[in-house]
Amino acid sequence: MTDAIGGSWFQRAVFYEVLVRGFFDSNNDGTGDIRGITERLDHIQWLGADCLWLLPFYQSPLRDGGYDISDFFSILPEYGDLADVVTLIEECHRRDLRIIADLVMNHTSDQHAWFQESRQDRTNPKADWYVWSDDDTRYPDARIIFIDTERSNWSWDPVREQFYWHRFFSHQPDLNYDNPEVQQAMLDVVRFWLDLGLDGFRLDAVPYLYERDGTNGENLPETHDFLKQMRKEIDASHPGTVMLAEANQWPADVVDYYGEGDECHMCFHFPLMPRMFMAVRREQRYPITEILAQTPEIPDSCQWGIFLRNHDELTLEMVTDDERDYMYNEYAKDPRMKRNIGIGRRLAPLVDNNRAVAELLHALLFSLPGSPVLYYGDEIGMGDNIYLGDRDGVRTPMQWTPDRNAGFSKADFAQLYLPPLMDPVYGYQAVNVEAMQRDAGSFLHWMQRVLQVRRQHGDVLGFGSLEILSAENPSVLAFLRQLGDRIMLCVNNLSRFAQPVELQLARLSGKMPVELFGRVPFPLIGELPYFLTLGGHGFYWFELVDAPSVAQQ
Amino acid sequence: MIDVGAMVPAISQWLPRQRWYSGQVEPETLTIIDQEIRGDRFPVLVRLLVEADRHIYQVLVGVRSRDDHSDFLRGHEQAVVGDVATHQGDAMAYDAVHDPELALVILDAVAPHEKAQRARLMSAEQSNSSIVYDERIILKLFRRIQRGHNPEVEITEALAARGFKCVAEPLATQRVRDFDLALLQPFLSGAAEGWALALTSLRDLFGLNDTASIPIINIDEPPPQPLDPAQAGGDFAGEAARLGAMTGAMHVALADAFGRHHADSKAWAEAIAAQADGLEPGDVDRRAIQRILDRLADIDAGAAIRVHGDYHLGQVLRTDAGWYVLDFEGEPARPIEERRRPSTPLKDVAGMLRSFHYASAVARTERDEYALEDLAAAWEDRNRKAFLRGYMNAAGPGNILPADPECVGAVLAAFELEKAVYELGYERAYRPDWAHIPLAALRRLTEREQ
Repeated sequence: MTDAIGGSWFQRAVFYEVLVRGFFDSNNDGTGDIRGITERLDHIQWLGADCLWLLPFYQSPLRDGGYDISDFFSILPEYGDLADVVTLIEECHRRDLRIIADLVMNHTSDQHAWFQESRQDRTNPKADWYVWSDDDTRYPDARIIFIDTERSNWSWDPVREQFYWHRFFSHQPDLNYDNPEVQQAMLDVVRFWLDLGLDGFRLDAVPYLYERDGTNGENLPETHDFLKQMRKEIDASHPGTVMLAEANQWPADVVDYYGEGDECHMCFHFPLMPRMFMAVRREQRYPITEILAQTPEIPDSCQWGIFLRNHDELTLEMVTDDERDYMYNEYAKDPRMKRNIGIGRRLAPLVDNNRAVAELLHALLFSLPGSPVLYYGDEIGMGDNIYLGDRDGVRTPMQWTPDRNAGFSKADFAQLYLPPLMDPVYGYQAVNVEAMQRDAGSFLHWMQRVLQVRRQHGDVLGFGSLEILSAENPSVLAFLRQLGDRIMLCVNNLSRFAQPVELQLARLSGKMPVELFGRVPFPLIGELPYFLTLGGHGFYWFELVDAPSVAQQ
Repeated sequence: MIDVGAMVPAISQWLPRQRWYSGQVEPETLTIIDQEIRGDRFPVLVRLLVEADRHIYQVLVGVRSRDDHSDFLRGHEQAVVGDVATHQGDAMAYDAVHDPELALVILDAVAPHEKAQRARLMSAEQSNSSIVYDERIILKLFRRIQRGHNPEVEITEALAARGFKCVAEPLATQRVRDFDLALLQPFLSGAAEGWALALTSLRDLFGLNDTASIPIINIDEPPPQPLDPAQAGGDFAGEAARLGAMTGAMHVALADAFGRHHADSKAWAEAIAAQADGLEPGDVDRRAIQRILDRLADIDAGAAIRVHGDYHLGQVLRTDAGWYVLDFEGEPARPIEERRRPSTPLKDVAGMLRSFHYASAVARTERDEYALEDLAAAWEDRNRKAFLRGYMNAAGPGNILPADPECVGAVLAAFELEKAVYELGYERAYRPDWAHIPLAALRRLTEREQ
């Protein structure tokens, strides 16, 4: 599963995050489904993504967007059945696409049969599958994550007459990983899906698997041990599988989840995302370069997952005091970036529907170290509906055509799980795949093209080193990506005004920068500073090639 | 191989073309007080300490054959000293800092253990030349020199020794006879000047004004709210607060390193009054100035400590690790003993606050739109406050500052006045178009007194 330069597929892949409910409705019941995704794979393949990431599709009472799983082995009936998933996986693989899915390891729904059995009494076979206690004072150092709704990590169960432990909602009891049967049961879940053909999992909320007295119950050694055990098993049985961890922590702490290259393959880089937005807001590079300077090296066989939009966001309580001050000063106070607003906005509204900014942010996303993760709909610049509340504002139906229901479903409008956007700027009559396909100058076509160019340079961008270049102009972020003798130079103007920059490239004297979108040769690099000008929010991707010895006619 | 004495007339003619030369015309006298020659084949490095009209300079002469066709002097004709006869035939002499090969020889003389591949000359400053090696280390060569410890070397070493992280730690220094000649430090890669960041913020703010929605003309509607710099994407206040905190920490470290001395605020008031005598009659109300200075003379002004002395946005660098401070040389035109004299730390604070005003005024002048005056003032006000907040937190009340906040304000006003008076004199002499900037500041300061 490794290629010529020794890397793995996920290290150069572009991920595409799909909400099953919102992508395409194949049976016209008003809700998107698995078969709908299968029918629309053409779009994802044409766009140039390499791997689908499905948000949870398991049986669930849906009290937490499907992250409250009540049966790991069956599909939510509205989405289809197991056969549909198998067809989707096969169809992906036929197209050389990979597919991973969300998996919640830490807890289940309280509707799960395991919990229903466990709560009956203190002696049943699953009595120790969850964390039970006679009092609710244990593990006082574990913070409460959902402080808006939960007052304690313990809740009283009137049936068993004991408290049970839950790091998230009270309807999501934590599994007891100290019980080897639980470990085996979850490994069975993993094997079941890998046998069906899934290429990996995004592991939800991994830091909380274990509880220990006198700790905050996060990132415990036991948690790492279990993940390593899981990695060992799947490496043996299903090589080429990826474990992508959601550990909402500072990069210096997240790297522990890579182990020595023997734990998770990928982790999300959370702080980079807000800082990319902040750099464009501030028109200077330091928000980005600072966080990159604080990002430790990771094992060669691993990769960061980076994103612009996603349903996850950095929580301020996870960072150090200095960083919290910084984030508070620069980020949380910004009216547009306040956490609860940021999380409910899509990319296009966050950047005032400014296409140049959207292109610049994607150019950064696709050229900085890490595998980029796209969110469905952002490739057409979809908007959001902040009046829908919670996170539904960014979960409206994919806008395929200017026809009824955005071409998402032929159901009655009133039957749709959420109304499609209909406002004059972002509504489906203005923003949809069909119209943008016909318009060669559309953002969608630009995305397809930039992903094509990224793929051509996937080795350097996936595996190359990163070196930030000095520039006296603070609005310019320039860096080199290098893999052996292959070098890319990326220059980004974070300002909306045109900017000049002089780069000290004398050590690359004799190389010729070739611009990658049009293969346009630029003047040779010499001993003097290399001078470039950039239009507002402009960027360049160059390949540095050896200068041709004879001028070509 | 080179007759250095024969080069004296050429050097005399060459000196007035150098930015770091303090005179206007050729010196009447020129004496070589020290010389060292490195290399016996071209290119040769000749390091001279020369005394010209009682000022002393470090002159670094490169010598190459006339047949040499290296092009590093192209566009730098002012660097050519002239022809010189050598045992190896006719040669030409020039300022060696331009020569990438000799730059490595210069480095070797300062720090033999440092190995470098490439050198580039940074733009020349008033009193020194800096060469960057491999984008990794930077060598500052003092050109206009004085006997005794150069404050740059002295302070940088002391701050680094105290663990103050916001200076680039000295890697090597060169001292010949009684002169500090060079200082080698890590090059702060990826850094940008505070001045460039401030202007970026201001241009963003003014750009926001360009795209502000146009109010519908209707007398019943309330006038649109003025733009608030806090709402602008390019808000600088976070940076200003961190810059203030770094400045406060710098002053505490300077006080720890060089001691806290008695503040003679009466003498300060007299010195400022003497400078203010140079103002023109219509500039400002003299009685208001006197009131500011009387207040300074009367109060407990806190401690006197070693200060930066020439502190402004061009002397601080933003890096990935926060703000760094540069150039502790003080005003190079002043004698070293005066530059080393303790003063109030608020002198530096005043310098930075004046720099915020300059930035806002220059950015507005760039656009030539006087309608932006209120917006520029709002920017300045917001960032002054942010800087002072950060500074006060870090400097701590009663440590190096007067315990009474009113006394802090009085000292600060007096030193802002001093700085603005100095600026006005400078601008009138060299950039009359800019004289309106310090004049506006003087009027603002004195109007508060009426």
